[in-house]
Amino acid sequence: MTTIECAACDDERAAGATFCEECGRRLITCAHCGGGVGDDGYCESCGMMAERESDHAEDDAGPLGAAVTDRGKRHHRNEDAFFFSARAADVDLVVCDGVSASARADEASLLAARTAGEALSSADPADAIVVAGKAVNALGTDHDSPACTIVAASVRGDTVSWAWVGDSRAYFVPGEGPAEQLTQDDSWARHAVDLGADPEKAMLSPQAHAITAWLGADAPALRPSSGSRDFDAPGTLVLCSDGLWNYLDDPAGFADAVRGSLDGGPLAAARALVDFANERGGADNITVALTPVGGPRGVHR
Amino acid sequence: MAYTAEAFQNEFLPLGGTEVNAIVTVTSTGSATGRRTTGATEVIIVDASGSMQAEGRMAAARQAAKAAVTCLDDGVHFAIIAGVSTAQQLFPAPGQLAVSSPQSRADAIRSIDRLQASGGTAMGAWLKLAAQLFAQRPGDIAHAILLTDGDNGEHAGYLEKVLESIGGKFQCDSRGVGTNWKVAELRKIAGALLGTVDIVARPTDLTAAFEQMITNAMGKTSADVQLKVWTPVNTKIRYVKQVEPSVVDLSGKRVEDGPRAGRYPLGAWGNESRDYHISVEVNPGQAGDEMLAARVSVVEGDDVHAQCLIRAVWTSDSGLSTRINRQVAHYTGQAELADAIQAGLEARKAGDEHTATIKLGRAAQLAHESGNSATTELLATVVDIDDAVTGTVRLRRRVDAADEMALDTRSTKTVRVGRSSS
Repeated sequence: MTTIECAACDDERAAGATFCEECGRRLITCAHCGGGVGDDGYCESCGMMAERESDHAEDDAGPLGAAVTDRGKRHHRNEDAFFFSARAADVDLVVCDGVSASARADEASLLAARTAGEALSSADPADAIVVAGKAVNALGTDHDSPACTIVAASVRGDTVSWAWVGDSRAYFVPGEGPAEQLTQDDSWARHAVDLGADPEKAMLSPQAHAITAWLGADAPALRPSSGSRDFDAPGTLVLCSDGLWNYLDDPAGFADAVRGSLDGGPLAAARALVDFANERGGADNITVALTPVGGPRGVHR
Repeated sequence: MAYTAEAFQNEFLPLGGTEVNAIVTVTSTGSATGRRTTGATEVIIVDASGSMQAEGRMAAARQAAKAAVTCLDDGVHFAIIAGVSTAQQLFPAPGQLAVSSPQSRADAIRSIDRLQASGGTAMGAWLKLAAQLFAQRPGDIAHAILLTDGDNGEHAGYLEKVLESIGGKFQCDSRGVGTNWKVAELRKIAGALLGTVDIVARPTDLTAAFEQMITNAMGKTSADVQLKVWTPVNTKIRYVKQVEPSVVDLSGKRVEDGPRAGRYPLGAWGNESRDYHISVEVNPGQAGDEMLAARVSVVEGDDVHAQCLIRAVWTSDSGLSTRINRQVAHYTGQAELADAIQAGLEARKAGDEHTATIKLGRAAQLAHESGNSATTELLATVVDIDDAVTGTVRLRRRVDAADEMALDTRSTKTVRVGRSSS
């Protein structure tokens, strides 16, 4: 076990990580007892699962935006995933949330995020989601249908296009005033509200979060909802899983939380929002992807 | 050899939960060529005590032994032991093993004609001689058949002492002919030597029983397959049991193998599939923690053929932690079924009709629930089943001794659960 001198690894080294000089793999020690960790990711002494790569992941495109996903505090693995790509001024973002009732939900969201994200460079968000849906369907077996939600967006100049299936959301946070939710959840609660139920009461129902559409071999016919708009005034486009919006269901509060964390740049903002959800309990996996839209880039820095 | 190992479990535990249960299915498609990867040695032990003269048993046993010899593959080493007050080697010459060929099989069959019933029953001595013969062929698939019709005549504790010294050296299937032998005695041999035990009530059925045992033994292609179980620190293995095709508790056969790991012998393997129930007690974790409760490998010497993981994940979501895993529930029921039958028959023998009725009633219920119709049929020879759903039974006044022994010996026989969902 040797520590490689690598400037890029300073942060991780500071956190106690070491790397194998032979294969360059990161050598991890068990956070519970300090024991060595075996190939299958479990501590060779106490058996506890060591941190997985997917437990926390970040992507930083500087002033063009950032994405962060985190396991949260209550779930044993991170079944959320994101895709973030910035090419010149074009930005593509995807957030997926694995449906826990299905095994291998983490595989479904990873595959969906990557497939849709790569498709966004040449397709609109709704079509990209259809491509991702087909890929997730192919993961299904006779007795197991990995499944996930998805929200995808592409930014081309001032034009933002988005589409979604399930209850992962897209918001536009303007320079001032409440956030605007660009998506409408495919969920029991939203259907109840559409039918006239009181929104607050509907959200308290035990089945509030039951989703009515998702990607997966066992899903209803796939019909992504979508929208597109030109944004003249500067603001921030935020895609997130319910691990964040569950703690920020009020549009004014959501906008305050986002604006209040933008000073350090997009990555700092995404981290701050994830921390916010974790401090409130981290009951679910948390994923945030954000990018400035409308007006010159970096206006919020 | 192509082996697979697959774990079926509900890995989710409630907060504070410490008991982790899984069914591990081990399947082998046999060796690539369908041939044995090593040699095989077979020893046939036939009780030739005086009582074997009754009911034409000796003649039937001679017939069965000949049939068994006929089933031996060419090249297999073999010997025949005549069981009397001492162990006498009937074929080939004392201390020797024959190599199976048309000639040697014909010689063996002629020697079987000399087998005459006289003398006593000394199972310890018979098995000890078998162990000495097997010792000449280390690494072989080592299998014996033991046929008896009566109680062991050796002094108390001798058989147990022999079993302790020869356990793991070879496998032995035991058969009792008639109804004057003790199920508990043969079960002891089967337990120590990873074998089966059954009743052959009618001497005329002996030939079929011997042919079946030899055919089964000839189908094995690997000699000594083991289950290696690694568990983390501060973990206790509650038990490791084979649960299909029959219930066999392997917990006591553990041999330590490196830090926190132990090996459990599974015996010889062919083209077959068996299920094991592994139950582990762990320290409770926090919500969201995931622990590897056991890493289970199918090994042969230093070769690891297959591996699967038994996990524990703590959750505050009772919807997850209360899920019943069908495999675990099914085999927990099958093990309880075997226990209920044995306890019920014991109570019945002791004259405790109340306990016998409750236990055998519970057995009828479990057999019905799990679709174990073979066991239900056997139960119906000992009790009248008024309502299998509630487990309401009445003890039958007149029970055929052979039926009762069949129920006892076959109580550990299990059925497999459907694989439609886990």
